[in-house]
Amino acid sequence: MAILRSRVLWIGAAVVVIAALLPFWLSAYLLGVLTAAYYFGVFAMAWDLLFGFAGEVNFGPTFLIGLGAYTAAILNSEFGLPIPVCVVAGAIAAVLGGILLAVPALRLRGPYFGLVTLVAVLLLQNFIVIFAGVTGGEIGMTVPDVLSIDEKVNYWYALVFLTICAVLLYGLSRSTVGLILQASGQDAVEASALGFNVTKHKIAAFCISALFSGTAGAMLIFYMGTASINTVIDLAIAVQIIIAAVLGGRRTILGAALGAVFLIVANEFLRPLGQLNTFVVSAVALAVILFFPEGLLGYALHRGERE
Amino acid sequence: MTGAARLQVSGLHKRFGGVIAVKNMSFDLRAGEIVGLIGPNGSGKSTVMSLIMGIQRANAGTITLDGIDIAGWPAHRIARAGISIVFQHSRPLQRQTVLENIKLALLPDSLLRLATKTSVTERARAIAERVGLGGVLHRHPWTLPFADLRRMEVAKAVARDPKVVLIDEPFAGLTAAEIKIFSDLIRSLRDDGRAVLLVDHSVKSVAALADRVIAMYLGEPIAEGSADEVMQNETVRRVYLGGAIEAVERNDSRTDAATLLDVDCVDVFYGKAQALEHVDLRVRQDEFVSIVGLNGAGKTTLFNAISGLVPYRGSIRFAGAELRRRTAAAIARGGVVHCPETRELFGYMSVRENLDLGGGHLSAGERQRQLAWVFELFPILEQRQAQAARTLSGGEQQMLTLGRALMMQPKLLILDEPTLGLAPVILGQISKAIERLRKERSLTLLLAEQNVTFALPHSDRVYLLDHGRIAWQGDPQRFAAEMHAGYL
Amino acid sequence: MRAVQILVDGFAISSLYGLAAVGFTLIFGVSGVLNLAHGGIMVVAALVGWAAAAEFGFGTYAGTGLGILAGLATAYATYLIVVRPIQRSRAIRPEETEIFVLTGTLLWGIMIQVGMAYLFSDNPVTIRPLVAGVVNILGVRTPANEILIAVIAWSLIGLLWLLVNRTRTGKALLGASMNPRGVTLLGYELTRIYFVAWTIYGLLAGIAGVLLASFLGVSTANTGQLTASAFSIVVLGGLGSVSGSLIAAYVVGYLETMTAYLVAPTLRPIPSLILLVLVIYVRPQGLLGRR
Repeated sequence: MAILRSRVLWIGAAVVVIAALLPFWLSAYLLGVLTAAYYFGVFAMAWDLLFGFAGEVNFGPTFLIGLGAYTAAILNSEFGLPIPVCVVAGAIAAVLGGILLAVPALRLRGPYFGLVTLVAVLLLQNFIVIFAGVTGGEIGMTVPDVLSIDEKVNYWYALVFLTICAVLLYGLSRSTVGLILQASGQDAVEASALGFNVTKHKIAAFCISALFSGTAGAMLIFYMGTASINTVIDLAIAVQIIIAAVLGGRRTILGAALGAVFLIVANEFLRPLGQLNTFVVSAVALAVILFFPEGLLGYALHRGERE
Repeated sequence: MTGAARLQVSGLHKRFGGVIAVKNMSFDLRAGEIVGLIGPNGSGKSTVMSLIMGIQRANAGTITLDGIDIAGWPAHRIARAGISIVFQHSRPLQRQTVLENIKLALLPDSLLRLATKTSVTERARAIAERVGLGGVLHRHPWTLPFADLRRMEVAKAVARDPKVVLIDEPFAGLTAAEIKIFSDLIRSLRDDGRAVLLVDHSVKSVAALADRVIAMYLGEPIAEGSADEVMQNETVRRVYLGGAIEAVERNDSRTDAATLLDVDCVDVFYGKAQALEHVDLRVRQDEFVSIVGLNGAGKTTLFNAISGLVPYRGSIRFAGAELRRRTAAAIARGGVVHCPETRELFGYMSVRENLDLGGGHLSAGERQRQLAWVFELFPILEQRQAQAARTLSGGEQQMLTLGRALMMQPKLLILDEPTLGLAPVILGQISKAIERLRKERSLTLLLAEQNVTFALPHSDRVYLLDHGRIAWQGDPQRFAAEMHAGYL
Repeated sequence: MRAVQILVDGFAISSLYGLAAVGFTLIFGVSGVLNLAHGGIMVVAALVGWAAAAEFGFGTYAGTGLGILAGLATAYATYLIVVRPIQRSRAIRPEETEIFVLTGTLLWGIMIQVGMAYLFSDNPVTIRPLVAGVVNILGVRTPANEILIAVIAWSLIGLLWLLVNRTRTGKALLGASMNPRGVTLLGYELTRIYFVAWTIYGLLAGIAGVLLASFLGVSTANTGQLTASAFSIVVLGGLGSVSGSLIAAYVVGYLETMTAYLVAPTLRPIPSLILLVLVIYVRPQGLLGRR
């Protein structure tokens, strides 16, 4: 079978195995960093799907993530519903949000759509502040249930989640549906002329991106035990997600996950610099955009292929 | 030979804002025939194709496919009903291989399909073989030569066994040998029993291929019949050539004057397509040189190269100095003033403001004098000087374009298709203005025109540009004698 | 009494918004760039102005001048380091250039914000008002500075109008915003025109920054909000339309002031956000936009 010969499969499997063994010699602190990084990786992959495959630049992925996160958090803290139910509800809320974003996307082009996504985040942010009674406002809220208190277990939960999402998203990107999505995103007129209902496919791309973003957002909440604007909604997070995907290489899906892990880990290592770590990361990202617009993974893959 | 009418277009009408692109267009397309749609630039040919394919919506009229009215359907539904289109510009997915690109065309419009059946892959392979891409199935589009990309577009279009195939400019950018191979390919589509509609600028190639030809002008059909019948039709010839050519006696020959513009072995490539090939051209001081040729021949590309707007190989010298090293704005300031086909006016600025900007490099006094002269040449501009440029009629806009160029005190004035879309009365006015220009100021002119009748009376020399190459050069009398018959 | 206060305060803040927005829209119209580092330029001007005036003892006037120059320098840096290299990069497909420029300016804006916070901390700074004293307008005691701000803002806008409509360079600028190829064919170098556009922008944003510091105070934490307001105003008014931006600036300025006074200060930005969403859905080209 061709799939068993795939280099990606073997390298990916090796990476996952090594990652699964890390808890046996890394400190609890580093495991925590990686756990957050893995959830971030899912955020970035979901963003890359929407960008690479529907051709839509989402400047506010945290709108979808935040919807998923806060829905799950509120259901858990106000109604005491069990974690799996809350996560599913969060995912559904995010998908609804995704459809809401898809509607203007189909009618607006370029900078206008990006603007809608930015505004969506700002509105959600303000919404949460207004209803601080339920959401905890700017301070945030805690949730009574968490996935686990053992950092090793949390790490494995995150790793498994990332792996499953990566397999699903990557598989989707290489599947027949992925091919149609790519065509719709690259050249809508040509895709229509070949008989594909571009509108239907773009909405589907939004829903898929929202599903993964929302679920990951909800999972993140139950890992951290808290939900706040700074961790799941703030524009700074949105920017980091975009940087991660661009750093790793747009349209590679797996590159986005790598970029996210790299970014979070780099942030940690640069922590001694204090505030300047954001500066350094942004500067590196800017340099990548200027000199390697294909991203690091994209550049590695295409080196030699291009004229 | 030809079967029942597959596609029936009736009373088709399309306007874009104030411009009527297609007016009362009606025709039938039968199975097993090739119909060619010809007409000068702006006649609405490509718009008709977009309307049939559902990429644009018609304002009025019906389009029926095997009796079902499909006007107003979205493009993907029309595609699934059995109509395919090969666009003018190839549109491959760059990240996918040739095989994957063709496979895409075979896929059903489903959200749930994760893998393709092997039968689909086999069929894609078979289609690729048929169009001659069997050897490059696993290559990516950017590694392929231009002709192969066009082949891939045809492969995608026939993948789902369409009843009707629309082909927009199949021969653009192809060499003569490639045109022949493509024509055979298109003929094989017809022999399969499909209905084929072609649009192309190369009237000769269309004539050689089509069973029937329909000529369009300004959105309307003006002639229909066999290729020969349409070519000989009086109205068609007038529309392309502008009427009877009068050989005008030119008294001063000016062959002793210095060379002002020297175009030497110039090539221009757009990606892989070669737009100009080894073009040699000379314009002497005070000469009026015309470049004639059908649309797509490369006249605009040549002018863009001279003005520094597109990169080229070869050498272009003006008054002895190599233009390559200068920026486009510097070339314009140096006296090479280009009036493009698209005019490039500042629509929201007034006529006066447009003219003033043209004279921006002059001192205030000089600018006043130059403005007065331009107003004398084109009195209507003085009348409308406070009006916004985009509210002017086509003819007035052309006069403004000319006037603005004159404000720059050009040494060499380059005019690209100034008569495009203008009524004969306006042509007369512009013609007279050009006459005055030459008499009153020392002005060298380089003109590109499809409308030979307009170009010849003024010209000292004529070049014929065909498919990016200079096919003929000489003086106007010889042109009238030798080339007129073969022009179309 | 309240009404007059809203009227006056709203006018001052709207004038400032208008000044900044006009620059933002000019750059979009001429250079095609939506500069997400806009807030950063204003903040640099404000902080440098404060530092020069207070910390280094240059005094209010010289400090303000230095602040404006710093804003101008930042604008140039934005163009030369971020925008132009991306626009000229051959590794980026033409359809994606806009997105890359947006992301690039966003990153640059963050770098400015963090860099400034590192150098100056994120405490709000104020520049001492250029004129002291209080004036009585219809019974409301208004700082004379507010009036000066409105006067300066409108004078600058007037100067800009004169520049664009009466000078050759200004008209070339206007032409470039309509048709870049057209101005090239008329012999104007686009690189020079872009330089002029960014100079005007840098000055306008710099002046708006120092004036804001003398009126409400500025901190690095405001960077994002400042860009967001300019963005909203410009989209509301119509991308590329200067008069549209001015009108929208007053609409947003007054909406915000009214919300702050009549509802709650924390809800200040909300009505304009909602208005923005409505406009995008109903009339995406804004009030007076042409694109």
